[in-house]
Amino acid sequence: MKFLAIFAAASLTGVFPQIDHAPRYQFAGSDQLAFQITQGAPADVFAAASPKYPEQLYAQRLCSKPAVFATNTVVLIVPRANPAGIRSVYDLRRSGIKLVIGAKGVPIGDYTRKLLANLGLSDVLQNVVYGEADAGFVYRTDVKPVGAKVFRIGVPAAGQPTVQYEMCIPTTAKHPALAAAFMREVLSKRGRTTLRDAGFGLP
Amino acid sequence: MKAVFGLAAAVTLTFLVLPVLAIFLQVSPATLLHELGDPVARDALVVSVRTTLIAQALIVVFGTPTAYLLATRRFRGRNVVLTFVELPLVLPPAVAGIGLLAAFGRMGLLPAGVAFTQTAVVLAVTFVAAPFYVRTAIASFEGVDPQLVAAARTLGAGPWRVFGRVALPLAAGGLGAGLALSFARGLGEFGATIMFAGSLQRVTETLPLAIYAEFARSFDVALAIGALLVAFSFILLLVVKWLRFGWTSPFRFVPSTSA
Repeated sequence: MKFLAIFAAASLTGVFPQIDHAPRYQFAGSDQLAFQITQGAPADVFAAASPKYPEQLYAQRLCSKPAVFATNTVVLIVPRANPAGIRSVYDLRRSGIKLVIGAKGVPIGDYTRKLLANLGLSDVLQNVVYGEADAGFVYRTDVKPVGAKVFRIGVPAAGQPTVQYEMCIPTTAKHPALAAAFMREVLSKRGRTTLRDAGFGLP
Repeated sequence: MKAVFGLAAAVTLTFLVLPVLAIFLQVSPATLLHELGDPVARDALVVSVRTTLIAQALIVVFGTPTAYLLATRRFRGRNVVLTFVELPLVLPPAVAGIGLLAAFGRMGLLPAGVAFTQTAVVLAVTFVAAPFYVRTAIASFEGVDPQLVAAARTLGAGPWRVFGRVALPLAAGGLGAGLALSFARGLGEFGATIMFAGSLQRVTETLPLAIYAEFARSFDVALAIGALLVAFSFILLLVVKWLRFGWTSPFRFVPSTSA
């Protein structure tokens, strides 16, 4: 029996198995997955939360031409009890706020830094902690599974970075034809509906 | 003094037991069993059993002669060699992971193209678990009475026969204990594996990696896998005690270490 090995961004953990539950999945940070592929890991499809890593692999001739298949937005979440009383992103400037964000190099970490720079809020990076926090930046689609425990706070559209998901077929793929079929499935009407229902935007 | 020491012991025991107990108290045993049927848990069990068994076979086949040599020969630099054998015991697993990548990764010293494959899991497990077996095996072979070996030789037994009929049977208990310890360590391997083999379902995702993959998505599945590993480890440690010291009455004073 042939199994596809799909390497996908962690934010796709919920939605990809809904589109196709048959493949073997590895969900992790896009940067780590890209590293594994450069090391020869046999991935059939690489689906990343940003164009950066697929385009890098493409430039190194390590994968096919990447295709955009979804978009996302970055939101601020706070625990339901909201101990710090945060109402908007600008409240993050208050001293003593504990904020968590993604690491540098991981797409969500890079998007968050961009968003804060867009809003002139880069100095709130001083409030970043590791551990239990008052607020954190995540993808809109991450909120749904934990919706009962957190409040979502929108981010001004002007600050929103462009979050695009791209996928490609690495040259290490063992089943490139099946991989292409999987990509068609994601881009199909049913795939797009599933992505939209999970809160993703469509290109 | 009795009260102070008793209190310290109570704190120590509570602290060590509580996290283990919590795994079983969070959800009912029925739920634990049910969650073990989850495809992620089942796949991880298959990967773990397979890779650990292969790793243990490698460890025994290569480790036993190595341990015998190191136990019976005295040579310059022996302590340095022993230190290298023991080093993975104290190395952070992340160091093992990056070292394995530097050695066997695509840009490594021996670019074997095994990184992020099931072979990589076997190598990672072998690297971190082997010292547990080899170290114990060296001690067991050293514990064999040299007079018995000498007697066997004077009675005309060749070196193979001495090894197979005298040293090996006398050291067997210790070798078994070492094997159980290295099995337990291999089954729990996490850090080196995730760096060198990744966490691909049904290929490189072992039980500990599955806990990590599941704990944010489905806490119950993660707990169920955790419970399984606790049970495994508990049994293995009991086996170690039995192999080394035999079943003893709880009131007899016996050395109580496993390592």
